[in-house]
Amino acid sequence: MQAAAREAPPRKPVPWLLPAPAVLVAAGIFAPLAYLILRALEAEPSMLREVVLSPRNALLLWNTLLLAGGTVGGSFLLAFPLALLDVRSDLPPLLTTLVGTLPLAIPEYVGAYAFLAATGPGGTLEAVLGVPVPRPSGYWGATVVLSLFLYPYAFLNLRTALRGVDPSLEESARSLGYGPWMAFSRSVLPQLKPALSAGGLLVAIHALGDFATVGLLRYETYSSAIYLQYSAAFDRTYAAWLALLLIGLVTGMLWGEARVVRGLRLARTGIGAQRAPRRTPLGPWRWAAYGYALGLGLASVGVPVAVLGHWMLRGPGTEAGIAEALTGTLRLATPTALLAVGLALPITYWSVRYPSTASTAAERVVYFGYAIPPLAFALAVIFFALRTAPALYQTLLLLVVAASLHFLSEAIGPLRAALYQAPPRLEEAARSLGYGPLSAFFRVTLPLLRPGLLAGLALVFLSAAKDLALTTLLSPPGYTTLAVRVWGYASDAMFERAAPHGLAMIGLGAAAVGVLIQTERAR
Amino acid sequence: MFLSDLVNFWREPVRRVVLLVVGVVLMLGAGATGQTPGLTVYTGRGQAFVEPAVREFERETGIRVQVRFGRDAELLAALQEEGTRSPADVYWANTSGALGAAVQAGLLAPLPESLSRRPVAFVPRHRRWVPLTIRLRVLAYSPARVRPEDLPTSVMQLPHHPRWRGRIGWTPPYSSFQDFITAMRVIHGEARTRAWLEAMKGLEPKAYTSNPPMIEAIRAGEIDVALTNHYYVARFVRLGYPVAAHHFAPGDVGSLALVTGAGILRTSRNPASAARFLEYLLGQKVQQFWANEHLEYPVVRGVILSPALLPFDQAIRRSPRMDFEALRDLEGTLRLLREVGVL
Repeated sequence: MQAAAREAPPRKPVPWLLPAPAVLVAAGIFAPLAYLILRALEAEPSMLREVVLSPRNALLLWNTLLLAGGTVGGSFLLAFPLALLDVRSDLPPLLTTLVGTLPLAIPEYVGAYAFLAATGPGGTLEAVLGVPVPRPSGYWGATVVLSLFLYPYAFLNLRTALRGVDPSLEESARSLGYGPWMAFSRSVLPQLKPALSAGGLLVAIHALGDFATVGLLRYETYSSAIYLQYSAAFDRTYAAWLALLLIGLVTGMLWGEARVVRGLRLARTGIGAQRAPRRTPLGPWRWAAYGYALGLGLASVGVPVAVLGHWMLRGPGTEAGIAEALTGTLRLATPTALLAVGLALPITYWSVRYPSTASTAAERVVYFGYAIPPLAFALAVIFFALRTAPALYQTLLLLVVAASLHFLSEAIGPLRAALYQAPPRLEEAARSLGYGPLSAFFRVTLPLLRPGLLAGLALVFLSAAKDLALTTLLSPPGYTTLAVRVWGYASDAMFERAAPHGLAMIGLGAAAVGVLIQTERAR
Repeated sequence: MFLSDLVNFWREPVRRVVLLVVGVVLMLGAGATGQTPGLTVYTGRGQAFVEPAVREFERETGIRVQVRFGRDAELLAALQEEGTRSPADVYWANTSGALGAAVQAGLLAPLPESLSRRPVAFVPRHRRWVPLTIRLRVLAYSPARVRPEDLPTSVMQLPHHPRWRGRIGWTPPYSSFQDFITAMRVIHGEARTRAWLEAMKGLEPKAYTSNPPMIEAIRAGEIDVALTNHYYVARFVRLGYPVAAHHFAPGDVGSLALVTGAGILRTSRNPASAARFLEYLLGQKVQQFWANEHLEYPVVRGVILSPALLPFDQAIRRSPRMDFEALRDLEGTLRLLREVGVL
């Protein structure tokens, strides 16, 4: 008995501090889920047959899957060349970073509306170009517009991963006789797997949960049906069923993604420090690369900014209360980003460094918070707050907690990619030099995670700033954000008032992106 | 000396994290502090519509007003979840259907007669809410592609115009459209409404989720006519868009009045201030502001209307007479729309 125990590899004990935040997060996410199930159980069987199992619902489900697939494909198609140019070419990184991240500052629904106002005869683009531009609509319209505003999720994940790839890996492949493309696809592409799957999952969940953009572009999906049930019909039971079905769909995707990254070991094992990736001079291709980056930036950022500017010129110009909305956005987005990254760090660390069924499950649970349609999540949070902690109801604290639980998964992707590439050995070396587990982590690993941490902070900040559904339902009375104002004014056809708020939002997003670039450069 | 100490303190990564956490907790704490008592209003109406009126009221009376914005149904759901613990004093809705649902759910208290006497029309008999403005259903059209004399006098005839096959816009998921269908069911009965929907469907109308993109589509040549509300057309006209509004005949269901209004919640801790607030919203000043800025119709006399709108007396009489709370039967309308396959 004792001999057998000695032969088995020693299992690392998990520090108790690591699973604790995961348990809290799981409780915060499963409680609303329980609420949904409770609601769903109130359904009558006849209603279930009539509505849930109708052929129309099957069609909506199919539409949603098509849209998610198309948007993931479109986003990577747009983001992959840009990420490569950013990390591996001599194009100014400022340009690629701006083009790759700025669309995050633009809510998809504002972008979609801008495209509707800009295209067709008499549109803004016709005034600029002289010829009308075809109007986006239906499946292709929704896919193209969503990809244009969601590709930053793919870009940020890909870039973090590409930067962490040790160039010596590719050089070894070349020295073994592979050509440049083969060497790239054999040595670098496999390193991008976690980034591809995490980025793809983020884009897919956004596409699955989107109701505003697809609505504007006249494409019907599952989420628009859920939105309709919550907003127009007073029927929460049916909506709970639809939400549960959507969660089932996401569960399948999560399972698939877990299979992709299972057992991956991508950390460097060699000795010595990692070099920066090699930048290839583009030569005559330089102009094509510039054209690509600028064209993409013009389509995703230029069009909405131009349309908002155009509206602003038609209106009175000044807008009282914009400072109030800006403060509101900051008071929501800043603590949400910090809290989300603070919670995501131990969860990711646990699942990467102590892989087990429990730790992987904890990371998966995080995606559930994201997969629950925000409207359903918000109502569930109201229900729980009133029954367990009425004092918290309608406070900013509750909104921040709900938002960070919901957007937590956006911090997981970049953190996980960075952790996979931070060698555990360094931390072990620090431990062997006498540092405790916590200070070894803070001194050695945390600095290595900085790009991942910053990317996570920026993603959650921007998402919280754009959020509509959670803010509308959970915000304290008298509280407002830029997003709520933009949406409210635009749906009332008061574009001259929506415009300054939309521009302020884009300015705020640009500032967040600027901070990100500055910190990265200072390294 | 002190500064370098501070820098050294900040250099220690563990301390840095502790400081950040303290910062977050402080920020959250600042957000969680309670509000001063006053009035709490839940409204499905837009901010640009509500806020100027609320600020004026606060300035003139000194009563603080907290406003929570949302959609009618969301807020109604929130009110029901909150039950007796609700902080809300006033429910101010976009549609008489939502107000009817609030009455049915027993959420609203009867109003004093001094208040219900003010509007010239649309006050429900049980006096649990008052109308604040009305909006009329209209047919928006492109003056460049459609001659006004070719437009029907009744919305019921609209499906008999095959020339507009594929050129008609409507908004089945939008609440105003659903109210219009509910009114048609009340006035013309279930069978005729179903026949109307089927015939319309035969003309392959384009469905939009909200009105602004639909008017935008008239501009872009995607459609020629669209069933919408009068103020959307008026606002786009103000922005210089090439669109116009066609009113169906008086009494036609296509000219339905969409009544917005507000009531006082039974759980209100401050019903006197709430009544004063509603009285203020029915005053000349606010009613005139809404007519000028938002191009909605007032419910009290003496307001000067933009030439882009109908004269007050015509507007008030345009709509078919009916029990406007009957619009709360949204469920039946949604079922019909689903059965016909337009939703």
